[in-house]
Amino acid sequence: MGKVWAIAVNTFREAVRNRILYILLIFAIVLLLFSGAVRELTFSAQDKVIKSLGLGAISIFGLLIAVFVGIGLVYNELDKKTIYTIVSKPIDRWQFILGKYFGLLLTIYVNIAIMALFFYFALYWQTYTSEAALDRAYAALPAGESLSWLSYLGFLGMAVLKSSAQAVKTFFFMPGAVTADLPPVVLMTALELAIITAFAVLYSSFSTPTLSAILTVFTFVIGRTNEDIIRYTWVIERNGLDSTMDVVKYHGAQCVAHVAPNLKIFFSNTAYQALSDPPVQYDRWMAYGVVYALAYSGMILVLAVLVFRRRNFK
Amino acid sequence: MPAPSRRAKLTETGRTMATVVQTIGLTKIYTLDFLDVEYGRIKLRLRPSRRQRVALKDLDLAVEEGEIFGLLGPNGAGKTTTLKLLMEIIFPTRGSAKILGRPLGDKWAKSCLGFLPENPYFYDYLTGREFLRYYGQLYGLGRRERTRRADALLERVGLHGAEHLPLKGYSKGMLQRIGLAQALINDPRIVILDEPQSGLDPLGRKEIRDIILQLREEGKTVFFSSHILSDAEMLCDRVGILYGGELRAVGKLSELLSARIREYEIVARGLPEAVVREWQGRADRVLADKDSVMIIVRTETDAREILSKISNGATLVSFNPRRETLEEYFIAQVRGGANG
Repeated sequence: MGKVWAIAVNTFREAVRNRILYILLIFAIVLLLFSGAVRELTFSAQDKVIKSLGLGAISIFGLLIAVFVGIGLVYNELDKKTIYTIVSKPIDRWQFILGKYFGLLLTIYVNIAIMALFFYFALYWQTYTSEAALDRAYAALPAGESLSWLSYLGFLGMAVLKSSAQAVKTFFFMPGAVTADLPPVVLMTALELAIITAFAVLYSSFSTPTLSAILTVFTFVIGRTNEDIIRYTWVIERNGLDSTMDVVKYHGAQCVAHVAPNLKIFFSNTAYQALSDPPVQYDRWMAYGVVYALAYSGMILVLAVLVFRRRNFK
Repeated sequence: MPAPSRRAKLTETGRTMATVVQTIGLTKIYTLDFLDVEYGRIKLRLRPSRRQRVALKDLDLAVEEGEIFGLLGPNGAGKTTTLKLLMEIIFPTRGSAKILGRPLGDKWAKSCLGFLPENPYFYDYLTGREFLRYYGQLYGLGRRERTRRADALLERVGLHGAEHLPLKGYSKGMLQRIGLAQALINDPRIVILDEPQSGLDPLGRKEIRDIILQLREEGKTVFFSSHILSDAEMLCDRVGILYGGELRAVGKLSELLSARIREYEIVARGLPEAVVREWQGRADRVLADKDSVMIIVRTETDAREILSKISNGATLVSFNPRRETLEEYFIAQVRGGANG
């Protein structure tokens, strides 16, 4: 296990020293911080819109990191022939694949954590600088006096401090009122990305970065629309499997839907169910998500190892 | 082909020598293949073409403990293929090999090996020190031990002072040296080097040569491939010559190269015009410029005669009896192979 860990740490180090990661992360943070601006643009359910936007941003940027950082990881080792020195060491090839996987996952999780922190911060910032909060600040002033520049800055500074403190508190699973429903949702996003990362490593183990990127995004899209594909087959079936084309379409779609992961498990509950009333039973939902993610990514990694284990490196 | 058994023999010094690397009918046939996964008879292929290339054909080779063995041959002869097969970077089409008596892929055997690939390219985002420590970790070395060895090796390959630079900033020679260091991080019994001197300047080549000689002093076996014959000639106890994927010759240099003197090369200054003209007809070659002349003759008598002519104002610049060089032997072998 020490060797898997060594490769994982090195993979993490490679990703952390990669410029693409920072560009993606900065974009995500800017988006998250400005998600509050949506407040000015929406009339109702502002809270819901902001949360959906933030959670969506975390999920999409997590995917982008998996794609852009992940796809090249195995391929580069083959392309630059660093794999030659790795396989000549007393390690097994499965250890290499697992190390790459966990290294990439570690990178993604650290980034999700950073994004989640900024997201929570943005949410609390909304609360602490809301009109109600500002009104309260006014009310505290002696009658007739207006808020001076300096005390307004003080008010904002306090908001920053309080938001940061609350964000950190929420992050370590002590949800405050504003974000009570969010940590499990972020966790589900993390589980979804565990599956996507396994696919990224699998594709990267036998194809070029561009092809891997396309395949990974494809898998993500099919995974997210898996239930819709099943619904589509129902429609075909209801209309009757008359022509050969219908039969091909029906079985083709069935096949794709059953082989591809069902990522809706992790998603359908995120934005709207997290905010639903009454709330979802998180425990059961999460337990199912954990089992599904472990089983599915385990299966994909076994496949990646089978491809990689007896592969000739040119 | 019968498989030669693992043998031990007595050397002149009375030390027993064991075969540490042995290949038995090792064969590799390449095809253009995008997937290229092999499980014995089950093969996963993605082949746009059926064309095949035999990279290595029935190689039977034995490297003895403690020697420097050079695998020589022109580009595309199968040298790198041989080493890649031994390191399990690729898998043989036929045949097998043993390292320290164990089959390929054996973990213990791998932990006794050090390997430097051709034109190494390493993780350029790591510093020299981080890189060596990472590889030490892959051998399961403890934290303190790998730091100690990394520092000692950086010193040994002359990279002291560059250990905190990322490998991105290393020159080709520095990369070759850090590559050699990573091959030695586990204090291996056998060091396998693929073209360790290619692409280096004369100074860099000498440094690598010195390290290889040191390794032999320490009792390690060095098995390397090269197409730089002069270096191989200086280093190797034994050589194998590969051409077109086949082993053409193997043995001690002194056995392969004829000991007799092939020709005498005399360079003199101020030799009388008449003498030069006379030898232009008789000698093998005569090269004259403004003030000096080089005469190459085949026999000792001819050489003595020329030397006797060097008097009264003429001076002998150099006298050089030449034996067959590895290069000449090599070219003869390769030509022979190409014709036959």
